[in-house]
Amino acid sequence: MNFETVIGLEIHAELYTKSKIFCGCSTKFASKPNENTCPVCIGLPGTLPVLNEEVVRLAVKAGTALNCRINNVNKLDRKNYFYPDLPKAYQISQYDLPMCSGGHVEFECEERHVRVRINRIHIEEDAGKLIHLEEEPFSLIDYNRTGIPLIEIVSEPDIRSPLEAVTYLRILKSILEYGEISDCRMEQGSLRCDANISVRPVGQKEYGTKVELKNINSFRELQKALEKEEKRQIELYRFGEGHKIVQETRRWDSGKGRTVPMRSKGEAHDYRYFPEPDLMPVIIKESTVDEIRGSLPEMPYEKAARFVEEYRLGEGEAEILVGDKKLSEFFESTIREGASPKAAANWVLGELLRIMNEADLSSADITMKPAYLHRLISLVESGTISNTAAKEVFKEMFESGGTPEDIVEKKGLSQISSKKDLEILVKKVLEDNPKSVEDYRNGKTQAAGYLVGQVMKASQGKANPQMVRDLLMREL
Amino acid sequence: MQSDYMSAWDISKGIAEKKFSAVEIVESHIKRIKERDGEIGAFLTLCEDEALAQAREVDEKISGGRPVGRLAGVPAAIKDNMCTDGIRTTCASKMLEDFIPPYNATVVERLLDEDAVIIGKTNMDEFAMGSSTENSAFRITKNPRDITRVPGGSSGGSAAAVAADMVPVTLGSDTGGSIRQPAAFCGVVGLKPTYGLVSRYGLIAFGSSLDQIGPFSKTVLDSALMLEAIQGKDERDSTSYRGEYQKSYTDSLGKDIKGMRIAVPKEFFMDGLDDEIAASVQESIKCFEGLGAKVDEISLPAAGDGLSAYYIISSAEASSNLARYDGIRYGYRAKDYTNIDELMEMSRSEAFGTEVKRRIMLGTYALSSGYYDEYYNRAQKFRKVLKGQFEDVFRSYDLILGPTSPVLPFKIGERNSDPLQMYLADVYTIIVNLVGVPAISIPCGRSTEGLPVGLQLIGPHYGELRILQAAHAFEQEIKLEL
Amino acid sequence: MKISREDVAYIAKLAKLRFSDEELDRLTREFETILTHFHSIDRMDLENVDLDKVPVDQQSVVRSDEKTVFEDKKKLFNNAKSMRETYIQVPKIIE
Ligand SMILES: [Mg+2]
Ligand SMILES: [Zn+2]
Repeated sequence: MNFETVIGLEIHAELYTKSKIFCGCSTKFASKPNENTCPVCIGLPGTLPVLNEEVVRLAVKAGTALNCRINNVNKLDRKNYFYPDLPKAYQISQYDLPMCSGGHVEFECEERHVRVRINRIHIEEDAGKLIHLEEEPFSLIDYNRTGIPLIEIVSEPDIRSPLEAVTYLRILKSILEYGEISDCRMEQGSLRCDANISVRPVGQKEYGTKVELKNINSFRELQKALEKEEKRQIELYRFGEGHKIVQETRRWDSGKGRTVPMRSKGEAHDYRYFPEPDLMPVIIKESTVDEIRGSLPEMPYEKAARFVEEYRLGEGEAEILVGDKKLSEFFESTIREGASPKAAANWVLGELLRIMNEADLSSADITMKPAYLHRLISLVESGTISNTAAKEVFKEMFESGGTPEDIVEKKGLSQISSKKDLEILVKKVLEDNPKSVEDYRNGKTQAAGYLVGQVMKASQGKANPQMVRDLLMREL
Repeated sequence: MQSDYMSAWDISKGIAEKKFSAVEIVESHIKRIKERDGEIGAFLTLCEDEALAQAREVDEKISGGRPVGRLAGVPAAIKDNMCTDGIRTTCASKMLEDFIPPYNATVVERLLDEDAVIIGKTNMDEFAMGSSTENSAFRITKNPRDITRVPGGSSGGSAAAVAADMVPVTLGSDTGGSIRQPAAFCGVVGLKPTYGLVSRYGLIAFGSSLDQIGPFSKTVLDSALMLEAIQGKDERDSTSYRGEYQKSYTDSLGKDIKGMRIAVPKEFFMDGLDDEIAASVQESIKCFEGLGAKVDEISLPAAGDGLSAYYIISSAEASSNLARYDGIRYGYRAKDYTNIDELMEMSRSEAFGTEVKRRIMLGTYALSSGYYDEYYNRAQKFRKVLKGQFEDVFRSYDLILGPTSPVLPFKIGERNSDPLQMYLADVYTIIVNLVGVPAISIPCGRSTEGLPVGLQLIGPHYGELRILQAAHAFEQEIKLEL
Repeated sequence: MKISREDVAYIAKLAKLRFSDEELDRLTREFETILTHFHSIDRMDLENVDLDKVPVDQQSVVRSDEKTVFEDKKKLFNNAKSMRETYIQVPKIIE
């Protein structure tokens, strides 16, 4: 029997705001524990929330970028549960009237055209962070993260493989980055992903029992966790033990490489949602939605199409570039400086990515100026330096941020293109190699190659090979 | 009861005119509190040093010729559910016995801005849940008019402190009648403003959609003065009113009320209303007619059904508002526990009193899955219908008049075994909170035993001026000596 | 209105409160009385009341995205039972 996998993702993205969702505390990452707190976000008695308007704007932006309907009348609700990282013992979220509903994302994955419908996007506040001390009977609480604004993007179960899930998440991430909605640093937890996964025999209409996977911190882990859980579920069905699949939450243990059942937060589960009485309904005017939609920056799929059209890139090349917003911006800036699209693409997709991968750096770490890359390209095109030398200069530029001219100068990499200097070299080589000269004149044309090599050697590689060849021919 | 009473109005005038100093006033009031509160039990915390320091500042301002606020040197006491920076704020609960807020409630800031002197924090029913102030974890407050009786609740301490002339003005909070009912029981003026007119920031929440802060005083003028000081838009409270505010109430209190249209719902005079209260209210109606008002009997059909809708909504909100008291960040922490869940459960079970737990339970039940639509949602729908009925009445009338409480102040211990009986004491006041309109309770007579009777005047949204004018005209007319 | 003691015990779990058997019995009885009383509104027609309708002219109350700092962190956490450095320290939480 063949099985089909059914996956839906719930993505939490921290919004790109200066202050928290209901108070003025900073959203800065990696501050001192409890530094970004005040009476409101640690839930002191008597305090009240006031909604940050930028949170609404960013949620609407996300909704429009993901083809959602924006709901004009919004309310916030309380989701009640006890947990030490939740200071008020309720999370202010949205229950039955989310800000955005009914969107979709489309992409190709392994020959399949995938359309993932988005059920809803709602706003909510983040909880604090717990640190469990290994050697002591204590846990520590840091409330810096409480009240950081989040959007939760809930997809329909339209994903059919772990790879599709990863592709969907990549696309969503790049859309949120392009819209400057979230900085999406998965390693810092500003983009988090929970996955619902079930399997069913191909052709069956009903969904199988679904399992929720939590604690997934990277694309790689998402794929691995889903593959493992998919395998676990299919095996259970194959051995006639499908009943052992229960609806539950399992934690991905990346160290052990497997999913493990999670102890539920409090035995009883009933969030007792009700409308937040401390906040007024949020009215979003149609004109505001239009204004936000109009101000939406170019989205990755639009940019990719433009790159193919405008710069004649291959679709694959364009996709790699736009998949990383900063990288695509670096690429375009280089062109704007005057570089040819082809050369810029070669450098960015070749040397730049290679160096970044080797050093495990992200595009955010690029300090090199696009103008310098353009100047480097010009140096190669004018014949001032060789391609090989240019790669050395590039690496140095990436690391030190220096100008290409300075590096060429410092390392003495410029080619000898002065005719006079070359003539002297050529003459000397011809004098020193009478045998080869004679061979050549006797019809052994390969002797010319040897003589060019000798000139290059004598110049310590700095001679312009084309000019050397021309001069030699003339002399011979 | 005594002759040394001075109104807030007279105190601030006298201080501004240098007839006496703020320090003299504060010292004499502290002395009075020390003499009388042993018997009454209105205060939980007395801020003697802070109050004297504040009084000295006021005196310095005056001697330096600097301008002072409209409550300059007026001693005021605050119900212990409003946060005071650096001063213990307990909600009369073991849960917050040692809680010291790091910030001031907006109303406290406003009083300080007007140069009032915060003299202490008053007793209340735990977390404002109750109608007798017997639910305080720390002490029972007695009714200064008859110390065998309760002062009403939940702002019983604030009402008693004014009734006993320990301070001219206090602040209370009113979720279902907690200002008006104790005002009626203690024979003082108590005003619950329109929901949103006074910021709730810093008021420890009970029922967020119902809670409102308001003043107690001996005179209508003092309540008007207090309202001017504490009202106003607050950026920290999303539910605070964003429209235009009446700048002064005190300026236009003398206006006559000829032609004012007053509605008296017949539902206010049904089963359960004490005969003496009914008679006293009927007398008051005659008085209003004598003042030139037009009084009609009307029907407010939903008025009689508000009680349980109120208990569902307020308890539901309370169950959520009081969930933060888990022993983790502040408040009481149990001594014995084996894990964090037990820490939370034991702390809550040990520190909350019976009535608080009862309401948390009722509210949790009303919100739990399967019951939400039947209870919480239906109660909210009822509330909307009730609002509609009030709007209808206010299309034709300026005010609604009726008794504040169906019963006279009862004996200490008499009612606290039966929650529903206790809840019935709020039957006329809770509907006002459900609708969000303003209402005042003013003394209108005495029972044969000499117990005070309260009259309730209800106005439309932001109709405080009308209420205060009518109450003031009535007060001047009957000149009641209690 | 019939409520079982088990229902009430489950609610107690949700509310993180502990009760003795007698207390549970008493609460069960009280709930029945109060909720029966509530059903007096059954005779009212509430079917067509729409709670989600908001007046169109209603303005949202929001604040602009500006940072503010609560300076006195020591005062902010002075009610915490135990701190370690600037963390709140609690008994170990097992996830
Ligand atoms: Mg969520
Ligand atoms: Zn904060």
